[in-house]
Amino acid sequence: MSKRLVVLKTVLWALAGALTVLTVARFWRGLGATTNLSDAAPWGLWIALDVMAGVALAAGGFVMAGTVYIFGREKYRPLVRPAILTAFLGYVAVAIGLLYDLGLPWHIWHPMIYWQHQSVLFEVAMCVMTYLAVLALEFSPVVLEHPMFGHRAFRAILRLLKSVTIPLVVAGIVLSTLHQSSLGSLFLITPHRLHALWYSPIIYVLFFVSAVALGMMMVILEGLLSGFFFRHPIRKDLLSGLGAAAGVVLTLYTVLRLGDLAGRGVLGIALDGSWQSTVFWAEMTLSAVLPAALLSIRRVRNSIAGLAFCSSATVLGMVWNRLDVAIVAISRPAGMSYFPSGMEILVSLGVIAVAILAFLFLAERLRVYEERARVAVKSPSHDPASLHALTPGVMAAPRRYSLAFVAAAAAVALILPERAILGVRPSQTPVSAVRAVEGVVQTDGEVSLSQLDIFVPGLQVAAGARRANLMMIDGNRNNDLVLFDHAGHVARTESADSCATCHHINMPLDQNSSCSQCHRDMYEPTDVFDHASHVRKLGGNDGCEQCHTDSATVKTRDTAVACSACHAEQVAHGSAVEEPGPRWRCAAGYMEGMHGLCITCHEKKQREAPHRFPQHLARCDACHNVDYAIRVAEMIPAKRHTGAAGLRRDQTETDQTGPGN
Amino acid sequence: MSAAKGILIDTTLCSGCEECIVACKKQNGLGQDHAWHAQQSIHDLSATRWSTIIRRPARHYVRNQCRHCVEPACVSACIVGALQKSPEGPVVYDEDRCMGCRYCMLACPYGIPRYDWDRNTPLVQKCKMCEPLLKEGRQPACVEACPEKAMLFGAREEMIAEGHRRIEVNPGRYLPKVWGETEFGGTSVVYVSDISLEFLMSKPGSGDTSLPELSWAALRKVPGVVVGMGTLMAGTYWVIGRRMRLAALESEARTAPEEDAATPQREER
Repeated sequence: MSKRLVVLKTVLWALAGALTVLTVARFWRGLGATTNLSDAAPWGLWIALDVMAGVALAAGGFVMAGTVYIFGREKYRPLVRPAILTAFLGYVAVAIGLLYDLGLPWHIWHPMIYWQHQSVLFEVAMCVMTYLAVLALEFSPVVLEHPMFGHRAFRAILRLLKSVTIPLVVAGIVLSTLHQSSLGSLFLITPHRLHALWYSPIIYVLFFVSAVALGMMMVILEGLLSGFFFRHPIRKDLLSGLGAAAGVVLTLYTVLRLGDLAGRGVLGIALDGSWQSTVFWAEMTLSAVLPAALLSIRRVRNSIAGLAFCSSATVLGMVWNRLDVAIVAISRPAGMSYFPSGMEILVSLGVIAVAILAFLFLAERLRVYEERARVAVKSPSHDPASLHALTPGVMAAPRRYSLAFVAAAAAVALILPERAILGVRPSQTPVSAVRAVEGVVQTDGEVSLSQLDIFVPGLQVAAGARRANLMMIDGNRNNDLVLFDHAGHVARTESADSCATCHHINMPLDQNSSCSQCHRDMYEPTDVFDHASHVRKLGGNDGCEQCHTDSATVKTRDTAVACSACHAEQVAHGSAVEEPGPRWRCAAGYMEGMHGLCITCHEKKQREAPHRFPQHLARCDACHNVDYAIRVAEMIPAKRHTGAAGLRRDQTETDQTGPGN
Repeated sequence: MSAAKGILIDTTLCSGCEECIVACKKQNGLGQDHAWHAQQSIHDLSATRWSTIIRRPARHYVRNQCRHCVEPACVSACIVGALQKSPEGPVVYDEDRCMGCRYCMLACPYGIPRYDWDRNTPLVQKCKMCEPLLKEGRQPACVEACPEKAMLFGAREEMIAEGHRRIEVNPGRYLPKVWGETEFGGTSVVYVSDISLEFLMSKPGSGDTSLPELSWAALRKVPGVVVGMGTLMAGTYWVIGRRMRLAALESEARTAPEEDAATPQREER
């Protein structure tokens, strides 16, 4: 076996090893824990690469079968079997990739019984399923030729299969035409999402033509790669003939694509310099224009380097095209984006690696190539002194593969992110302290709410309004803030210990802790008890019994003394806010805490004197005002914490909203 | 009068109190919202929040929820028919059929369906117009809960007529348009408003095309492709095969005595 093949297989086995661990994570913890998919990105890499690009990459099967069996181009016969095997394994990989992506993969068979003929996806599913069966039948003669199936019965099956070759090939072409194009038709229903440079009413024609070209280029690339890895002589005459044909198809594709843009009058968008137009031209150049131009030159298509370059360019470019259609050119709500997680990328590569390994396994054992890619079996070496058999040389490579597999699995298990192990957790949204701002307060006598606003130079201050320092309550700093007139509230709260009305834990000397000190997370409750600092303060291990007084019981929070036993003065009784229990556990999320505090009191006031507040004191917009957010956004840029929900700027601030508010 | 029900939302009446969202959560047992890494804002629609209120500048409040389209893109996209438009109006979801392909989420022009990303047995989550309540002859929970009567429930045609009536009676109060009357073939949840609701549409100015019709344009061609491509391929096979046979016979006749002409072994692989 050639050394380069061993290296290739080692890499593939390593990817397979990584796949095993990720498979467990994916099916145990779900899509949210392993992918970066979201409601804004329902389709990601697994659909784009494993399914859409995978199906297109496997188009070589029907193209080559048609060339040889239908069009009678006998000289290409040596390329048929590898192409059919690639197609078959490619479609199996598509099905496996789909299992990873489907939310309920055990329902994958449902399309067979629940027919929904209005769905393009239904048509794709039925065609792919049927075509997988056709490919299996097309390839099965290669398996049945193996001496293992020497029995008369197998020979009869083989004859039967060979007699239906032509109907199978025709069926394969029809099915491929349908689903290769329908993968494009899937996006016909998304004119509102797919960018105009990719959305086309004839997208199915583009998908089909590009699949034919890609199929040919894939056969070329494979021919070159198998020559490289198996050290076969490369059939340059065949490959360059195929290259010429692919060049013609790619030219047709280019003309169709640009003609479609011109016909729809969006050629201007392709030239407007937006990032989409750059992506479009890069994709077009790599996938079609450059290879088509190069392949028209005889010297290029007759050279191995030229063929290698052109075929790789189209393969990469067309895969990129599928990624563009399914991911890149899909519009998302403002602020939402999608880039596959490392786990998604590894799963995609792993599935492809397993398919290639299966290909190599079969190619080495069956007559896929004219020259069989034999596994060289060396006899075991012997220790010359004892004649004891050493580890057979033939085992060296498999042992290396096992090592690569296990090592990669272990490495992936070690670096697996927390969410893949523990599942999706609510993300932390740390709360920032309240800021002060110069504002204007307009009180309309005893009736109705005070109108608050941020003071900016040039603001029209009404006659009765007073300037005041206002508090900007905006825990997650998304500019979606509430203005709070602290002085006004103090003045309106009559009693002497007015602080306790709102602040429950008062520090010594009547100071109060800030809300964000305990309500540390915007949405999730936080544990306010810090055991470590208590241990430190109480003198290490000697201090245990100061709280855990009963040495006979297990030392838990429930058996310890109440917090209020020491911190009695910090609890303000009779306040409007919830009094902490004897053992302080979790402080509510900041939002819940503030709502609980403000709304409770506002509701009470509203009930007591409804005539005073015709606008409803307890309504959301009594405190929340989108206009503040807009004003502040103009003054200071919002601090954006990536990854934490709720910290991004709310959509309501901008007018560039997309779907899914 | 068709039996299809609809909801009229009058954004000028909505005070943004979110009572409807509380009622929705309670009716459908949706539970707490949690912020997580793939959610833009906790106030967005999510698997635990089937309806939400979007706050717009100058104290405007716009409810966002499934529109229960007259010609729903999600229903036509669904590969197994897990989403169905019921004759009473709601677009309902059958979790026993769903296989989780999420094509509906891509197809929906309003970006409504949400997914249980955090579960390993995820389902599609969206408003079902409180179908169980409708069967009891009641109104959807959100409509019942609204203290401002900003929502009205009834036959879709009546709701549209009522929208037009309100605009006619009070032309200064509203923009002269019932939103959802024609968009994407019409929706069952329609709006009257004093601000433009373009932002609620995925792509402003998307027009009134029915989305299922777009994919039907391609699906319609399937029988033709099957027959056409099948005939073309079989015909090509026959023509080329015959031509090759004739060529072989000819060369055989020319060089008959000397050698066996190599007739193409077509059937062998």
